[in-house]
Amino acid sequence: MQPDEQALCFPCGDDWLTAVLSPIGAGAIARRGVLIVVGGPQYRAGSHRQFALLARSLAAAGIPAMRFDYRGMGDSGGAPRTFEAVDLDLRTAIDRFIAAVPGMQEVVLWGLCDAASAALFYAPNDRRVAGLVLANPWARTTDGLARATLKHYYVARLLQPAFWQKVASGRFDVRGSLGSLLGLVRNARGAAPAVPPAAQPANDTAAPAAAPAPGLRERMLAGWQGFRGPILLITSGADLTAQEFLDMVKASRPWQKLLAAPGVQRHTLAAADHTFSRREWRDQVAGWTATWVRSW
Amino acid sequence: MHAAPPPQPFFLDTGAAARFCLYHAPTYAPTYAPTYAPAYAPAAACRGAWLFLHPFAEEMNKARRMAALQARALAQQGFAVLQIDLHGCGDSAGDFADATWEGWLDDVARGAAWLRERSGKPVALWGLRLGGLLALDAVQRGGIVPPAVLLWQPVTNGGQALTQFLRLKVASQMLTEGADSGGTTALRQALAAGQPLEIAGYTLAPALALALDSLDAAKMPAPACPVHWFELVADAARPVPPAAARVADAWRQQGADVRTHAVAGPQFWATQEIAECPALLDATTAALTGTHHAA
Repeated sequence: MQPDEQALCFPCGDDWLTAVLSPIGAGAIARRGVLIVVGGPQYRAGSHRQFALLARSLAAAGIPAMRFDYRGMGDSGGAPRTFEAVDLDLRTAIDRFIAAVPGMQEVVLWGLCDAASAALFYAPNDRRVAGLVLANPWARTTDGLARATLKHYYVARLLQPAFWQKVASGRFDVRGSLGSLLGLVRNARGAAPAVPPAAQPANDTAAPAAAPAPGLRERMLAGWQGFRGPILLITSGADLTAQEFLDMVKASRPWQKLLAAPGVQRHTLAAADHTFSRREWRDQVAGWTATWVRSW
Repeated sequence: MHAAPPPQPFFLDTGAAARFCLYHAPTYAPTYAPTYAPAYAPAAACRGAWLFLHPFAEEMNKARRMAALQARALAQQGFAVLQIDLHGCGDSAGDFADATWEGWLDDVARGAAWLRERSGKPVALWGLRLGGLLALDAVQRGGIVPPAVLLWQPVTNGGQALTQFLRLKVASQMLTEGADSGGTTALRQALAAGQPLEIAGYTLAPALALALDSLDAAKMPAPACPVHWFELVADAARPVPPAAARVADAWRQQGADVRTHAVAGPQFWATQEIAECPALLDATTAALTGTHHAA
């Protein structure tokens, strides 16, 4: 039987973090655990409980898992912060995780969206981080989003019968949509104001709305180049965040080189959205993660 | 030194019965703090106890921060506060697909029993959105006799809330399949035929949907305790929305003490980003500590 989960509370700076540990069976030993890093506007349970279920699934497969709230999120104290300022949160969570699981020596960081980016920033600086699982990494820049939206969202919409039915029935807001399309074209050419939120598809719910900090992509690249462990990259087909990341890779030789390295394994879920919001997608992601974590 | 004592996370019970809880012990923040005393200390006496009941599905995630902020604020005013994750929700055991309304009512009773034991006080109920309707249903069934009820934008009609949830599925079908496959009527028929539905990542069981459909606060007897009812509005000049006012008025006609408040702020359980609403926190704390006069 699966052992009971444990609720943890530990200090981080001047504040307290809340975490839940999913242990493996009594007497079982695991040298490696998975720390689930939460992305977007979510707390440790994740969108539709994805992270709670992922942690249980990993623990059932013999891999201890922990998930926690950053300072300022969920049940943790302190002021809200962005994913670019969570190094101390990650370090203290890893400390606590390793202390809580006898025999465990290293962790894999598992991050969705901006948590994948945060994991990339942090990983090269902590030898206990043995591997990374990056799901739909967040590499957003204004013009990158515009290009990805144009290419993957509008083009796909134009091919859908429902879109034309809406146009025919008068339910399509032509002026508003043309306005946002023109804004996108301006941004894609690198000219212009921020992309209107309306241009973001509805399934992008875990994505942060904050303006991208300068150098996000450079920091991600540096993080990836500086990290020596293996990386599992999981991307969703129906997700602009993932498409934008992959577009960035396609347009960059250094990124292509990194993804082609032998330590990198890739999986794609063609039909899945940003947060893997169906049981079959969620289970597939959990299965890939468990297999990969035990494969090296 | 840490700014405030931490809330205590724990699992109430074990195995399939494990329910994640977060306990905020009462503290007081003295206005006069001698240098030799900690900024926060255990309260000399607990002022009262509040059990928080969270909203439904993704609304619970989005509202987590506000619930934690209010719970901390109340603890600092000397109240004991317990947040409980219902069966199949948050960090509690079980799958959302297996959750039932009756099971959630049992969870309310278990949380209240623990909190009464710990605090030595009768337990008042605080519910947000569907958690508000759950609190009211728990009260009308008589299992709990709270000294007060705090409602944050409660769902007053379970059937309407179900329809809104089903609309997420309709919208997703239109986007991915490019067709409207009969709207919420068809989905209700599927549920009535015993078919669970996967909606926005949550598997909705037919029994839970049926229970929601039958719940209507307007048809419940007025609670026999003070009710503090907060609604968020676009600007402070607006009155409490008509649907809420109707239920509150009906209860007042039965002699109930219902104190409605309209507060300007974001609907933080539904915003894209995590939103805070300090005005709601302040107004709630003021109302529960008796420094606020009802509108």
